[in-house]
This record gives sequence, structure tokens and C-alpha cells, in this order.
Amino acid sequence: MKNILWVIGVILLAFLGDRAAGFVLGKITQDSQFRYSRLYRGGENCDMLFAGNSRGLIFYQPYIEEKTGRTTCNLSYNGMPMDLAAVLIKDFLDRNSLPSTLVLDVTLLDKRMDKRLVTGFNCYVPYSDRLSALMRDSFPNDFYGGKVAHLYRYNSEVFQRVFYYLKKSDKDWLLDRVISPTLQKDVEKQGEFDYDFTPSMVESLSDVVRYAKQKGVRVELVVNPYYPPFAEKIGNLEALKTAVEQATGLVVHDYSNSISGVEGFGDYQHLNKSGAREYIDKLMQDGILGLPEEMGNISGK
Amino acid sequence: MIFNSLTFLAFIAVFLPVYFALTGRARLWWSLAGSYLFYGWWDWRFLTLIAISTLVDYYLGLRMGQTEGEKQRKHLIWASMLLNLGFLGFFKYFNFFTDSFVDMLQGFGLNPSVHTLNIILPVGISFYTFQSMSYTIDVYRKDIKAEPSLLKFATFVAFWPQLVAGPIVRASDFLPQFQKDHDWDWNRFTTGAAQILWGFFKKVAIADSLAPFVDQCWQEPMSFTSVNLWIAVVFYSFQIYCDFSGYSDIAIGFARILGYDFPENFRTPYFSQNFSEFWRRWHISLSSWLRDYLYIPLGGNRGGKMAMYRNNMLTMLLGGFWHGANWTFVFWGFLHGLYLIVQRILGKPFGNLMRALHFPNTLKVAVNIALVYAFICLAWIFFRSPNFGIATDVIANMFSFENFNLVSVMNKFIVMKGFLLIAMLLAVEISDLNIQWSGVVLRSPVFRVASFAVLLWLIAFFGTFGSNAFIYFQF
Repeated sequence: MKNILWVIGVILLAFLGDRAAGFVLGKITQDSQFRYSRLYRGGENCDMLFAGNSRGLIFYQPYIEEKTGRTTCNLSYNGMPMDLAAVLIKDFLDRNSLPSTLVLDVTLLDKRMDKRLVTGFNCYVPYSDRLSALMRDSFPNDFYGGKVAHLYRYNSEVFQRVFYYLKKSDKDWLLDRVISPTLQKDVEKQGEFDYDFTPSMVESLSDVVRYAKQKGVRVELVVNPYYPPFAEKIGNLEALKTAVEQATGLVVHDYSNSISGVEGFGDYQHLNKSGAREYIDKLMQDGILGLPEEMGNISGK
Repeated sequence: MIFNSLTFLAFIAVFLPVYFALTGRARLWWSLAGSYLFYGWWDWRFLTLIAISTLVDYYLGLRMGQTEGEKQRKHLIWASMLLNLGFLGFFKYFNFFTDSFVDMLQGFGLNPSVHTLNIILPVGISFYTFQSMSYTIDVYRKDIKAEPSLLKFATFVAFWPQLVAGPIVRASDFLPQFQKDHDWDWNRFTTGAAQILWGFFKKVAIADSLAPFVDQCWQEPMSFTSVNLWIAVVFYSFQIYCDFSGYSDIAIGFARILGYDFPENFRTPYFSQNFSEFWRRWHISLSSWLRDYLYIPLGGNRGGKMAMYRNNMLTMLLGGFWHGANWTFVFWGFLHGLYLIVQRILGKPFGNLMRALHFPNTLKVAVNIALVYAFICLAWIFFRSPNFGIATDVIANMFSFENFNLVSVMNKFIVMKGFLLIAMLLAVEISDLNIQWSGVVLRSPVFRVASFAVLLWLIAFFGTFGSNAFIYFQF
């Protein structure tokens, strides 16, 4: 009898502790200043919305806000796959004030993106039917695992960031280093790089574009800069651009080879803060971030 | 079947109740059937290897037991060696030897047309082969009597908890435990379950959380800055420790619940103050196997210093080779052999130097532990690398100290999580030196309930559940 009580004790304590900890972590998730917590809390008021994978983080928000006087939100995350980006963008547009412009880096159309990243968003599943459906369909074990053990929902790098950005802004999230000489040499040794995109990814992007346009949001598609020797190794950039342009009816603005100085790169796929500033100036000059007349105080900055 | 899978959960849910419902031969049959199912789940064809190895060693053991003539006994032991090492040689090393032979001929300017075979490496072959060999050697040496029951012997060879990744349990330790039925014992269950949970925590929370960072760095070592590679090497040292010792804990825990006592396989190895001590704490069942069946028969410490150095080196080289058919494993073994030799030569002068410098004892211990750990990590680089090119890239980039700063750490969140988990592990291991957690679990019901719940929470919160296989399966 004592032993049975012992087993019941373990099960009860494990269950109650899990629920209690899950409740506390859920509160942390809701209250955090991390981008997706703000997304699902609702009420965000951004003039410009950015999205992409880690390369989308180079839409360096503090500089854009300083130069344009406009508010920004960025949904980019390392290794973001298109299906997850589509869910997040749609959820953003449904729950927050509509931005005037959505800028999307199309290089997330690649099978090499982290398909499992969606499991990291388990902590946001209670707040989104779309996310819930995506997760249930793609990773049922993780989805139901999160139902059985609430603590499991918070078992991810995404939640670590939720915690890290609990009281501080995540707008400064960008590399602040210069590409090392070793890495520069390494690029020379590398073979050709091809985007591994599929028609379903292109269709998913096109669907997001339609959704945003229906809500009156201007959409700009771009290819963010690469370290030039690496950019030269990309074999099928034109094919990617053509596929996207045909599906969306929009022009893809190609900035893949637009930043030349080594000092502007953190590694060969990512600009650092200095490079991001240079790139954003180009985006502004080209009107990607909004038409000049819409952007009241550019000239004053 | 692997421990961290839903299939295994279903297996154990059926196996355990039936096991305790049966007694005597029926229970042994059930254990054997369960073990063959456990192994055959991966690839049923290789059950024939285990079955052949079992039948032949059983027969040879019996014959040796009945034969008094030294010459005939020698023939029988050689037959057993040939069979076991023949299987191991063919399935594990055939292509390696063929490739190395071709490379050598090419070095002489020849270009032979030699084909390798598409051989699948049977999971855990090195473990059960060594286990079975220990039986025939012990019977040959007359350390144990031949086992008359084929059922018991077959269960000994294939017993599922330790079949694919050890610990390598000696016949002299294990076979006598089949002589009686083991009833369900609540204390054994709680201590076994605690060890299983701790093993799962080490495997799915620590080892599998560290693995992605390590894998990424090792894939293209030149693409990452120096500081990342330093972190990757530290992470790998704990990944392999937690992966392997986690498996051992789970195996020992399940055996304990089933009524069997397996020897300890790891004893806080990274707190070793010298390399001999490290090998008394790391993969104890293999190192003691190599000591008893290789080092000592080679002459051990007898026959002068040079003979001892030679024996040390040969044992470590073969220990390295046991891990896999790759020169990097051999080099790993070579480095450990070298460490042992250098330690024997410089150990005393180094100790004298410390004494002359009036190092406080604590500092002396810390310096020793740090030095041993650093050199073990250096050897791990070769163990982890698929070839010498990658290993030298890792070392060259590490010691370039290029961008050696926190800013260039690849993913600070993964790194922070990794170090947090390592700190938790070390905290438990350090406290265990004084507290003996297993004893506390057994004594205090409140602590038992709390520790089980905490481990379950930690596994849910930190675990990586992708059915990642254990590293040592490949050996």
C-alpha cells in the first residue's frame, strides 16, 4: 500500500509541478518583449513589417527607425522555413495594426531551412490555430508531447529567447563582428551554391503576398546581400527570382551583390551592423521601405 | 530498438509484467525472446550472428570443460577466438583493411583494382563479441566452469539491457546470477528507476542538446571561429560522456529492476588526476577487459620498463581500434598510450616540482584534473573526426585564436544551455562524492518522490526527443 501511495505521489507531484511550471512559463511567454510574444499579445503598431530567415535580421530596426522615423516589427528568425513564416505573417496581420509595408527576403525558400524550427514555437501554440495546425500536421509527437507535459512546450531555443528578452527589446538582434580571414578563404574553396526551393514553397509565399495585399499592405520582395565572393557562387538565383516573380506578380529586388566591403559582413551570408546600415540606406534610396513622400522626415535625418 | 524511443516504451510495458509473472526456465525463455526481439528490431538478419556465436562458444566452452589436455584446450580456445574475431574482423574491419591496403599500394605507385564489399556493421558487435569471448577465455583459464545450460548461456550473451552498448559483463559476474529467480523487489525498482531516469537525463537532455553544436562545428571546422571550436571540443567531451554513461546507467538500472547487478561502467571520469585513474573511471568494463585479457597476458607491468611501455601502448592501440575501423581511432588509442607512458616517466618529477613550489593540495588537485582533462579533450578531437584532415583543421583553427571573443560565439543560447546542463551534471557529480545520492533515494521516501519528479521535469524541459541513436551503437 505504501508503495502504491509512493507511485501516486510521484505521478501527482510530477503532474502538478508540470502544470504549475507551465503556467508560470506561459505568463513569461505572454509578458516577454520578444517579437513573437508581442505578435500574439496583439496591439502592435508597426509601419513596416520585415520577415526572413537569419538573413532577415539584417533589416536592422534601430537604424531604420532612426532614419525613417517609422515604427518597425521584424518576424525573422534563424533558419525560418517558409511554411512557418507564412503562419507568423498571417497571424501578425490578423492580430495587430496593419503595417503599410511588408518586406520579405525570399532566400528563405530553401529546403535547408530548419523544418523542425516550428517545434520551437510550441510555446506559442496555445495562442494560434494556424500554428497549432502546422505543428500537429508536421510534428505530431512534439505537438501532443506539449499537451502531455506543458514543460515540454517551453523546451526550445525560442523560449530561451523569450526569457532573455523578457524585459528588453530584441530590435538590436544582429551580428556585430567582421568576417574572419579564415572564413573569407573558406568561401573561395566552396563549390557552387544552389537554392533548393520547391513549388509548394513558392506557392506558400505567393499565398502570403495575396493575403497581405488583400489587407491593403504593400509588399516588397528582396534578396538580401551576400559576401560578394559567395554571391558569385550562387547558381540559380535567377531561377528563384523568376519563379517567385511569376507566382506573385511582384518584382524581386536583387541586392545579393550590392555590398562590396569586407567590413560590412559578419560572415558570408550575413551583414553585420555596419553593413546593415549601408544596405538600409540603399533600400531607402530605392524606395523599398516606402515611397519618399510617405516617409516624412527622411531628409531631416 | 533504442531506449529513447516509443517502441522501447511499448516493449518494456509488455516485457516487465510478463517477466515477473513467470519463473524459472519460462522466465529465461522470455528474457531470451525479449532480447532477440530487442536486437532484431534493428535488423533481424544479424540475429544469426549472435546465435552462431552463442552456439559455437557454448559448445567450445562445454568441450573445454570436459577436456583436460592442454593442447586440445588450446585448439578449442583458438577456435573460439577465430570465430569471434573473424566475425568482428569481417563485419567491422574488412573494408578498412582493404582500403588501407589499396592506399599503401598507391603509395608505392601501384593502382590495384580492388573492390570493397557493401557490409553493414551489426550494431553492438564489439560488445557482445567481447562478452562472449570473456566466457571462453575464463573457461580456458579454469577461472569459471563451463555453463551446462544453453538457455542460460544464450541469455547471458544476448541479455537486452546491455547487448548493444555494454557494459561488457563478465560471465563470472553474470552467469551465477541466473541460478535463482529474482522476485520483484521494491527497493531494487526505485534505485533502478532512479538510475534509469538519471541516464535518460544525461542522454536526452545533456548529450543530445550538445550534439547539434558539435556536429555543426565538426562538419565545416574552418567555417567557425576559434572560440566556437574550443566550445565544441568541451561540448563533445561531455556529449560522449553523457551519451555513453547515460546508456550504461539505463542498462544497469533495467538490469537492477530485473534482479541483476551489473558492474559500474563510469565513475566521474573527468575528475581523474592522472591518466591511469581516468581509465579506472572511464568505460570500466572495457578497460578492465583489456587489462585482464590483453595487458596482463602481454606481460603487464612485469619484464622491465620498456616492456611495460610496449604493453601499455599495444593495449591502448587495440583499445582504440576496438572502437572503429578508422585510423583516427587508432591514433586516439596511440595518444592515450603515449599519455600513460609519459605519465610514468614524468609523473614523479612533476609531483616533486609541485611539492617544491609548495602548491596547496587543493590547487595541486585542480591542476592535475585540468591537465588530464585538457589532454583527454585533445584526444577526443581525433576520436570525433572522420579523418585526419578534419582533426587537423579543428586543431589549427582552435589554436589560431582568430576572433577569440564572446561576440563570435555562434549561437549563444545553445551554448548557454549547454554550459548550464554541464554545470548541473558537475554539481550532482561533485556533491555525489560526499552525499551518495543513490543511498539518499533509498532511505528517504520524500526525497525519492521529489527527485523522481524533478528528473521528469528536467527531461521534459531540456530533453531532445528525436530518437537520436547512442554514439556507442556504432562500435
